[in-house]
Amino acid sequence: MTDTASQTLLGSLPTAFETGPAWLRSLRARAADAVRAQGLPTKRTEAWRFTPVRSVVEAERPRAEGDAPSLASRLPDGVTVRSLREVLASEPGLLEGRLDLAGVPEHFAALNTALFSDGLWIDVPARTVVDQPMEIVHATGLRGVGYPRVLVTAGEGAELTLIETYSGQVAGQLTNSVVEVDIAGNAKVTHVRVHEDAGLHVGRVDVRQAADSRYRSTVVTLGGALLRFDVRCLLEGKGAECQLDGAYFADRNDHVDHHTLVEHRAPHCRSDQTYRGIAAGQATAVFDGIVIVHRDAQKTEAHQENRNLLLSDSATVHTKPHLEIDADDVVCSHGATVGALDEDQLFYLRTRGVPEDLANAMLTYAFVESIIDRVAHEPTRARLQEALLARIPHADEIREVT
Amino acid sequence: MLKIEDLHVEVDGKPILKGITLDIAAGEVHAVMGPNGSGKSTLAYVLAGREGYEVTKGSVTYKGQNLLEMAPEIRAAEGVFLGFQYPVAIPGVSNIYFLKAALNAIRKHRGQDPLDAIDFMKLSKEKAALVQLPDELTKRAVNDGFSGGEKKRNEIFQMAMLEPSLAVLDETDSGLDIDALKVVAEGVNGLRSPERAMLVITHYQRLLDYIVPDVVHVLIDGRIARTGDKNLAKQLEKEGYSEVRDAQAP
Repeated sequence: MTDTASQTLLGSLPTAFETGPAWLRSLRARAADAVRAQGLPTKRTEAWRFTPVRSVVEAERPRAEGDAPSLASRLPDGVTVRSLREVLASEPGLLEGRLDLAGVPEHFAALNTALFSDGLWIDVPARTVVDQPMEIVHATGLRGVGYPRVLVTAGEGAELTLIETYSGQVAGQLTNSVVEVDIAGNAKVTHVRVHEDAGLHVGRVDVRQAADSRYRSTVVTLGGALLRFDVRCLLEGKGAECQLDGAYFADRNDHVDHHTLVEHRAPHCRSDQTYRGIAAGQATAVFDGIVIVHRDAQKTEAHQENRNLLLSDSATVHTKPHLEIDADDVVCSHGATVGALDEDQLFYLRTRGVPEDLANAMLTYAFVESIIDRVAHEPTRARLQEALLARIPHADEIREVT
Repeated sequence: MLKIEDLHVEVDGKPILKGITLDIAAGEVHAVMGPNGSGKSTLAYVLAGREGYEVTKGSVTYKGQNLLEMAPEIRAAEGVFLGFQYPVAIPGVSNIYFLKAALNAIRKHRGQDPLDAIDFMKLSKEKAALVQLPDELTKRAVNDGFSGGEKKRNEIFQMAMLEPSLAVLDETDSGLDIDALKVVAEGVNGLRSPERAMLVITHYQRLLDYIVPDVVHVLIDGRIARTGDKNLAKQLEKEGYSEVRDAQAP
């Protein structure tokens, strides 16, 4: 069944691309070739072992129109936002070499590269510091597969906060998104990414960081029939730092699946990852994080932590943090836990008179809220706190307590 | 107020308390002293209702009711308070607002109306002053980033807010320097009243210089080896627990 769906899909991929500049036609052809050569992932593909890829593959057609995200806030001074389609038609040279940051794409990301028709290019010129966050929202209610694409380029010393939201997707409709973030030396990008009832979604963020740049990602996933989300950071310049945080709440039959990959390619870089999640009902939550430290990346500091709360016997958590270290002068740590609520904390609250179910709800909320709390933009933080509260009993009492 | 009779408690099948009998009347302060491992904290936890402590024999009667049948939050609502030896930090849960939820749950249990925000804040300012707990600490997450002394002052602050009938204070002095100890002890003394009983658990006599007990019990190997007045504590300080232990041996 999956094989048939997969074959049909691969068979429908063009072998040659007719429109756009030569470099883009060639990039799309390479991406399509890569997918044809690799095939789409199956249960036997290691990185997709826990992801029910079958429902993604089967949902990969037909293609939707109007899948480009749109700006949801006032355009901050100094930032340029242009349609990818428009730039590719009028000044394609500006984008050459910038739509394949991570090299030859694979699997669903390659499909996006081959098939995306439009998207946004957000450019912050060198030394432009944008205080006001920029918000973009992705199209909802599409019929068919959407291939949203976003390119963020931050010049030397630039600073930007991007808030990206995917919410309320139609059941069975697939989003296959790719966001690329290219951060020049000394630049700083804060990226808040929200998936709220994200439906079927395979998403990927590729980040490339030059020397002394900063990338800070906070991913908040609240429900999703099937969400598979990968963040990949390439630390290419000396002294670059990335911080990847995530919070997820999976209930009912949700499947939320977060993968991270940090590659330390240069010395004196630092990466920090904290993912926290809750699996309730019959839901499945997956965390898979890899830190790769290349031989030349001496003085690397890399930390990775994933903590999970398992709230029901029928929920499942798979967690796999791992390190591959080829340098010898490094400080690295990783850890993962899967457990119930902390008995000491629960007992403490109850000895003060807090009823057991309210104490449970307070601690459940606090567990994930500690990540949401890292979102600096107050309206977004408040919106996420409310969205989390809506999924937990005793919302009114907890709203007061925290 | 509290009547413990021949209480036997096991943890993981291992007997810890081996027949405790205690009777505390309203208005009294009893101290339980004893060496490490004698069962002091077990006694505190059993009274507060912690899971994992199996009562194999005996009874605990509080205000005429079977205390052992009540859930921890019901005990709190009925007026039992435990001051922890090691108060746990709860990041993400506000100290002051969780206390408001607790206090209002207790008031509801007692058939009282909830306190509104203004009255609650007024009360909390007044009580925090008792133990010199800065406003900023009352608003932070529960015990999160608190020093040892701040945690203990926070315990007494919570006790002052909840106004229990029976306060069990488990090694409230541990980890405190003398100045912090005085502040905490003054807070406790300020809460002594004819309607309130206290059970003060400690390893050292030092605390009892500041919180002067009416009765002192010495707990050794899960049994009360001796009971006396405040002078017993002084005697212990001088002679050590081994004297009592030897005297207890047949």
